[in-house]
Amino acid sequence: MEITLLQGILITLLVMILVVDRHLEVFFWFRPIIVCPLVGLLLNDLNTGLVAGGMVELAFAGITAVGGASVPEALLTSVMTVVFAHITGQPVAASLALAYPFGVLLQFVWTIRNTAFSFFNAPAEKYAAKGDVKGLTRLCIYGILITMVGVGLLTFLSVYAAQEPLKNLVEAMPDWLIHGFSVAGGLLPAVGFAMLLRVTLKAKYMPYLLAGFLFATYIKPDNVLPIAIMGLAFAMITYYRSVESPSSEGGSENGI
Amino acid sequence: MASKTDNKKRQKRVITNHDLNVVAYRSVLNQATFNYERMQSIGFTASMGSALKKIYKDDPKTLSTVLHDNLEFINTHNTLLPYLQGLMLSLYEGGEDPETVKKIKISLFGPLAGIGDALFWFTLLPIMAGICASLSSDGNVLGPILFAVVFFAAFLLRFPLAKIGYKTGTSALDKLQENTKRIGNAASILGVTILGGLIASYVSLNVLTVIDIGHGAEVSLQTDFFDKIMPNLLPFAFTFLIYFLLKKKVNPTLLICIIIVLAILCSFLGIL
Repeated sequence: MEITLLQGILITLLVMILVVDRHLEVFFWFRPIIVCPLVGLLLNDLNTGLVAGGMVELAFAGITAVGGASVPEALLTSVMTVVFAHITGQPVAASLALAYPFGVLLQFVWTIRNTAFSFFNAPAEKYAAKGDVKGLTRLCIYGILITMVGVGLLTFLSVYAAQEPLKNLVEAMPDWLIHGFSVAGGLLPAVGFAMLLRVTLKAKYMPYLLAGFLFATYIKPDNVLPIAIMGLAFAMITYYRSVESPSSEGGSENGI
Repeated sequence: MASKTDNKKRQKRVITNHDLNVVAYRSVLNQATFNYERMQSIGFTASMGSALKKIYKDDPKTLSTVLHDNLEFINTHNTLLPYLQGLMLSLYEGGEDPETVKKIKISLFGPLAGIGDALFWFTLLPIMAGICASLSSDGNVLGPILFAVVFFAAFLLRFPLAKIGYKTGTSALDKLQENTKRIGNAASILGVTILGGLIASYVSLNVLTVIDIGHGAEVSLQTDFFDKIMPNLLPFAFTFLIYFLLKKKVNPTLLICIIIVLAILCSFLGIL
């Protein structure tokens, strides 16, 4: 299905609001689980938005820019996953893999912006010398506005202006290629999870990973809430033990 | 030194609960001019600005010194930030030497970022992602709504945090650092348990290859071999392969591109 000019503008405005939240990390509306259903709503296809939201959220659960790492931006991938599914009618998993390059595109824009914003530091020093708090606040507003306009422009071009070529591209793809993108969509969450493991896993935590894995594999709960409660039980046991006998905390700090 | 501080403390209590609330909501500006050189410095300073102006109303020189100090590099956790700001404001207000406050800030923002990242990015986010994504995948609007509500509650934490930082001052500092390790340890255990579940539930890898063993009998590699050993064996192995590649400092963006290319290749060959 086609995306009308009005829909293109509405999605762009939506992203301009959401990118402020991505920028400031306040309400977490920039996460795929929120972005996809909202875009779906604007395209009159809420269900696709919800399904995409679940899938993209998991694919990006561990892909976070913590510690200054530069990673693909979930925001534009989320938008484009729903857009691809909408205009081409392809399954969400394939749309996710197709939408991936747009996250990388926004990643580049983000990196350029983070570099360019160093120019704010000199005027900030001037305002500080004058004790001008309003001036500092104004710089913050400029930072927000520049981000909104830049990302808004990128979104409009991706969502509306490029839809014909994107649609033609997907339609020209043979079945095995589309299926390949679906397979990739199923594998991508592994990257996010592995990134989370990289920051949290130590040898001493391995038993908990295995417990969670076995629970989900053989009991197959509807969602991860029961596993979270089991994890909470493990965490509480360890916490209270460490409070009672402080000497036993720490242990092996080595990764595996 | 101590008596001097005490004297000033009695004279200059000007920060009210309202001021702390203002700091807490202005703390959303923290990353507004985020850049690689000084990261959150401008937003960090601007969000405390109105309160600092009140403290140094009659002392513009110290005000500029303090503003200048705070424009130095800082990178901490956005939600926990008001705690640090409340703490710093109580010290500034109490007449503490700005140089000392700066040192406390420098010693504190890193550990605070560590706790915040462990709690929010590595624990709360994967938990909420797992729960809400499983709802959302079934077409249930409760998924995104639950997610938004929980993270809105996390935003509201900023207000009490500013007050806790202000009231407990440095006394909370020792307790916090003492507890950091324990809380971090417990949070990691919770996070890792959930990750185990997420790997089993959401990484899908199914081998399509079927081997003809003659006499019309066929063996499916997936259902007759891998699933017999253990279901989800391949997703688990695949996730660990990525984990080790990441440890070898392979760039994640590159890794994702390789996965997409390999997936397409395997699809072409009929393996996956």
